[in-house]
Amino acid sequence: MLEIKNLHARIADDGTEILRGIDLVIPKGEVHAIMGPNGSGKSTLAYVLAGRDDYEVTEGDILWNGESILEMGPDERAAKGVFLAFQYPMEIPGVATMTFLRAALNAVRKKRGEKELTTPEFLKFVRAKAAELGVSDEMLKRPLNVGFSGGEKKRMEILQMAVLEPTLCVLDETDSGLDIDAIRIVSEGATKLRGPDRAMLVITHYQRLLNYIVPDKVHVLAKGRIQKTGGKELALELEKSGYADFTGKAA
Amino acid sequence: MNVTTLKTKAEGQLREQFDAAAGSLPGTGWVGALRARAMDAFAADGLPSRRVEEWKYTDLRECLRDVPAPASATPKSVSAAEIDGALGPLAGLDAERIVLVDGVYSAELSKVTAEAMVIELMSLAAMLKKAPAWLEGKFAADSGVVVALNTAFMSDGVLLKVRKDQDPGRPVLLVHARAAVQPSAVAVRNVVSLEAGAKLTLIEAHVALDSAASGALANVVTDVTLGDGATCDHIKSLVDAAGSTHLATWNTKLGKDATYRGFQLTASPALARNDINITFNGEGGKLDLSGAFLARGAEHIDTTLVVDHAVPHCESRELFKGVLDGRAHGIFQGKIIVRPDAQKTDGKQMSQALMLSPDAQFSSKPELEIYADDVVCGHGATCTEIDADLLFYCRSRGIPPDIARAMLTESFIGEAVEKIENEAVREALGTLAIGWLRAG
Repeated sequence: MLEIKNLHARIADDGTEILRGIDLVIPKGEVHAIMGPNGSGKSTLAYVLAGRDDYEVTEGDILWNGESILEMGPDERAAKGVFLAFQYPMEIPGVATMTFLRAALNAVRKKRGEKELTTPEFLKFVRAKAAELGVSDEMLKRPLNVGFSGGEKKRMEILQMAVLEPTLCVLDETDSGLDIDAIRIVSEGATKLRGPDRAMLVITHYQRLLNYIVPDKVHVLAKGRIQKTGGKELALELEKSGYADFTGKAA
Repeated sequence: MNVTTLKTKAEGQLREQFDAAAGSLPGTGWVGALRARAMDAFAADGLPSRRVEEWKYTDLRECLRDVPAPASATPKSVSAAEIDGALGPLAGLDAERIVLVDGVYSAELSKVTAEAMVIELMSLAAMLKKAPAWLEGKFAADSGVVVALNTAFMSDGVLLKVRKDQDPGRPVLLVHARAAVQPSAVAVRNVVSLEAGAKLTLIEAHVALDSAASGALANVVTDVTLGDGATCDHIKSLVDAAGSTHLATWNTKLGKDATYRGFQLTASPALARNDINITFNGEGGKLDLSGAFLARGAEHIDTTLVVDHAVPHCESRELFKGVLDGRAHGIFQGKIIVRPDAQKTDGKQMSQALMLSPDAQFSSKPELEIYADDVVCGHGATCTEIDADLLFYCRSRGIPPDIARAMLTESFIGEAVEKIENEAVREALGTLAIGWLRAG
């Protein structure tokens, strides 16, 4: 279970406060969506969950399975099962995708006290997951994300998620920049990972993605706080009414 | 004889060592005269200081305080297994092997199977003793102080020729092994020529045996001449953990339509100066030079190249990448000269350094001297730290920071190493570079 308690965070460099008291609970097995206007703090929340040090938590706590993760580095959080699918995945020239996946999987398995996979085991494991997401062998050989299209990069994020088998999946605007077909492939990949032991947080600007990844709850984030919580129908309401009701309010 | 400018202790030692050794160095007659002239040329200028523009960042007069005694003419006995151990990932390379131990050719450790109609191979010392008249022309008169010292002191090396239109098929691995347990100085001269249409992959591996003393000095000059249409891949690796001073010069001349691809891996000498001088003598020549320099602690690696486009329609590419940690200083000086007649020259140069420490230093000095008006020439230099966003991305996938840093550093160097054409050599040098990175 993910418990975010009165979370305040600011940009480390200039002290600008972005998150102003977020309270959120996602039990295992549930998928929650966070929607909100630009600049509401959606991506900041995703980064703070993953442990990016550009942000400073000034108040509150984040508990994952009852344990505070605030003092953990990003890699330690990953080993605890936290995964962030980036809005803008990074390109790493000179590192083959397969090599990267293997380094990540072995690091995580080692931290989790599991045995590293042998080369044939690893290849078999990755190829099966890759095939489901339409990721070719050729893509796996290329440097990570270098020269990939927007859709290919997002598929690669979901592939990494499938390979690392996290228990808390945070998807940051995974639909941005994708056409309908790409959204469907990516969403199907993410939906396959739904399960009783996994919590999922889907951050999106538009309702569209939630047709494919149907959430148990929808939260509206604006001005650094959760302004409203509802069922999946809240997303449809927002699609009609927009975010004006929330952005108009005084902080 | 002009000795008035020889002021420093090291300069005095060099003079004394030459006077003491002149009688026993291989070769008499014109060889002796050549050595004496070279010593006079050195004496006229002395060791270069920072006031000499080409030595601005490597003040040899300041750096070279003490010159170790010349290495013995009969080096320590070394086994093939010891050489293999020092070669590391290069040991398994399927190659013709030539071994020099402390600057002396070892027939016992060398193994060349290519037929004499393909390759001609001789020990330089043996030829200097015979002193045939044709050999004299191989030694350029005015090539700077380091080459002059090399000419004065050269003890041995190889004369290697690939005959017209021949291709030995396998790379030639020239091993410069440092074995002496006392600090010592070696001067090696290699003369390589490819006749028209010939092909050669030459790897010069500079290695130190476990027993080798630190504080050694090496002065190695390799002259390469490519005939018309010849193709040469020239690769050098210097991985020296025992703290030596390494002065290396490549003088390469390209004939018409010749292709020369050079790569230098320089890792962890106390001080290294790599001079690379390229001259295009025929139209249609192609040059691709690249390298990786890796330094930590107080190490100092200087790569200085001069590319002379003396004729039209030639192409040159240079990519040098450095990883600098601790208080290390990396230097890249790249001069491209385009002579008035050298129209349609296409030259591009890039040097990049990755700084792993705030105290490391990178000096980059590109120089374009263009006297022709219809040319495409460009240069660039960058100096960066490990990208924080990339580091976060790797860590968010569970990769610990030390491994993530190593991975990103390897990817940085990988771009240069990828330029090596021969796959087995590329992999071996990649392994050497990674080994260095992980040893930090």
